[in-house]
Amino acid sequence: MSSKSLTIVHLYPELLNLYGDSGNILVLRRRLEWRGLEANVREVHVDDTPSFADADLVFIGGGSDREQAIVCEKLLRQRSELTSFVEDGGALLAVCGGYQLLGHSYTMGETKLEGLGLVDLYTDRGPTRLISNIAIESPVCEHPIVGYENHGGRTHLGADVKPLGRVLYGNGNDGQTGQEGCLYKNVVGTYIHGPLLPKNPGVADFLLARALERRYCNASLEPLDDSVELAANKGMYERLMSGNVQEN
Amino acid sequence: MSLRSQLALMAGRASAWGLKNARRNASQLPGRVALSLDPQLLRELAPKATKGSIVVCGTNGKTTTNNMLAAAVEASGQSVLCNRAGANMLAGVVAAMLPGTSADWAVMEADELSCKHILPQLKPTFLVLLNLFRDQLDRAGEIDHVQDTIVNALAASPTTTLVVCADDPLCAGIARRAAQAGTRVLSFGIGEDLGLEPDRVPEARFCQVCGAELDYDYRAYAQLGAFRCPNGDFERASLDYAATGVTVSREGVAFQVTGSSLPESVQVKAFFGGVYMVYNLMAAFVGSLLAGTTPEQFQRAIDAYDPKNGRLQHFRAGGRDVILNLAKNPTGFNQNISLLQADDRPKHAFFVINDNANDGHDISWIWDVDYERLNSEKSLVVYAGGSRAGDVAVRCKYAGLDARPAHSVSEVLGRMASVDPDVPLYVLTNYSALWPAKAELEKIGERA
Ligand SMILES: [Zn+2]
Repeated sequence: MSSKSLTIVHLYPELLNLYGDSGNILVLRRRLEWRGLEANVREVHVDDTPSFADADLVFIGGGSDREQAIVCEKLLRQRSELTSFVEDGGALLAVCGGYQLLGHSYTMGETKLEGLGLVDLYTDRGPTRLISNIAIESPVCEHPIVGYENHGGRTHLGADVKPLGRVLYGNGNDGQTGQEGCLYKNVVGTYIHGPLLPKNPGVADFLLARALERRYCNASLEPLDDSVELAANKGMYERLMSGNVQEN
Repeated sequence: MSLRSQLALMAGRASAWGLKNARRNASQLPGRVALSLDPQLLRELAPKATKGSIVVCGTNGKTTTNNMLAAAVEASGQSVLCNRAGANMLAGVVAAMLPGTSADWAVMEADELSCKHILPQLKPTFLVLLNLFRDQLDRAGEIDHVQDTIVNALAASPTTTLVVCADDPLCAGIARRAAQAGTRVLSFGIGEDLGLEPDRVPEARFCQVCGAELDYDYRAYAQLGAFRCPNGDFERASLDYAATGVTVSREGVAFQVTGSSLPESVQVKAFFGGVYMVYNLMAAFVGSLLAGTTPEQFQRAIDAYDPKNGRLQHFRAGGRDVILNLAKNPTGFNQNISLLQADDRPKHAFFVINDNANDGHDISWIWDVDYERLNSEKSLVVYAGGSRAGDVAVRCKYAGLDARPAHSVSEVLGRMASVDPDVPLYVLTNYSALWPAKAELEKIGERA
């Protein structure tokens, strides 16, 4: 019997790898393999033309401003394909710079640049970088999501886009609304790295379940022993909420 | 010297005296006291180094390189002022320049971003630039910014000669821009293929001029190697000082140096270190030559070099070898894994990661370390410690390693009580975890 497999498209790992982003891919891969499912990770490099026709899960990481602009220019050529993927319920995770690309526009220095327009949001810039540990509560998983944020951008969600969650500690999208990230169809955008998935296995499983559901009409995932991940999550969450973490 | 500078100097020295007598770490505070009275004090202090000064800068290895360089210059019979404890911001450099006597040379390590304060005032004879890696992102900012800072610092100190590791494209990018602005540049590097497997997450693979992906004839580690842009606008410079015949083993490193100012090639060897140490030794060797040290004096200093700063320090504790080293970013950690793997004994390892201010609060970088390589180690046992022990344990789990939580080196050694005493313990820590581990080992162990 052939096992189920998912194709994970990792966009431009050599350009977008600022915050341990390879960790997110590793977690997706292992959590499939530990369940006897096959992970087919396809890296898209600078000179490749990405295809999303057979993609089950797409990952876009964070990069410096310059690298983010290069990536955006390349992806704009694939915009219609990406839009179809998203509208068809394809699972997509975008972190930091990748998150900003999802929207209509973002700013680099003083310049406003066109984004991919996959989700109704846009990003402008604030006077300071928002740099902090962060914890949010989110409908996608049972445990709080913990991680780190470091962004100059302020992201504003359109009326019909939900945030990934509500900020319990840290800043989130703009440091004001208490919203963090976006959740649109099966797209998760977030400023949380650390990277995101290792200490938040619930987010990883949310994405894997959505991808399996779309591919095999069956979202069920065998439970794993997440004691190491959840101990790290709980330890960090408790340190943050008790005010025992230095932030500068 | 102005009255203001004199007052600042006196206040700094008085606080150094007070600290010394209170038996506290006097590495930085006197500098802060003096600077609060005269922010430009370093300018006044610079002439105290009568022959000149050397600043050592780079992400990894600057403390070790700086201390080896200072020891070598001293071995030539010249006197040195040096910030040996590694206090490498402006205040630390000022504190190291405060003592009453002058010296032949000042040998100072400088934090990358602090170069902008230190170089314009000190106007060093030489700036030795070792390497640039992604490090403590939330503090140092993006590498582009670090490069700009060093280029601007050099522009503000036009008499400084840049002594640069030409194998690192990021340093070479700085050298290129500095040379265009009139800075004199001397280069060093490794002049041969060591046949090593490239690191998994190399940074800076892109041309500093046109952005194309660089081609490599060979790589030593991370992005360091003989690189070339396919568009022909950027390549590893011809080396003014080259290491060849390099051997790296558990016993240490050895190589030959050839160089324009050397009548014949010179053998350099050290009983410690991996590939990264070849670069540190090259930097210290070239720096010491420029400061009038002979190759024989350099080798004598290295033979006697005894790190007491927790970098690659060996101890006997709990009846076994304990090796302590700093590992504060992916490249440093990967080099430590190479070092550990060059030791063919079965071993245990304790990884300690904190998230205090001087570590960088963001420890995402542990996901860029190749812990996976440790799977080839037979009977390796891993322990995870520090305020981010949980993160280390998760990282290890996804690398296929089972990491046991532990709170201290003593606890790990206690749990190893029934393990064969020939099994060494490697303790790898990031910055703020280093001193507590060292203090513990000094208390329970004997120096090996
Ligand atoms: Zn080029």
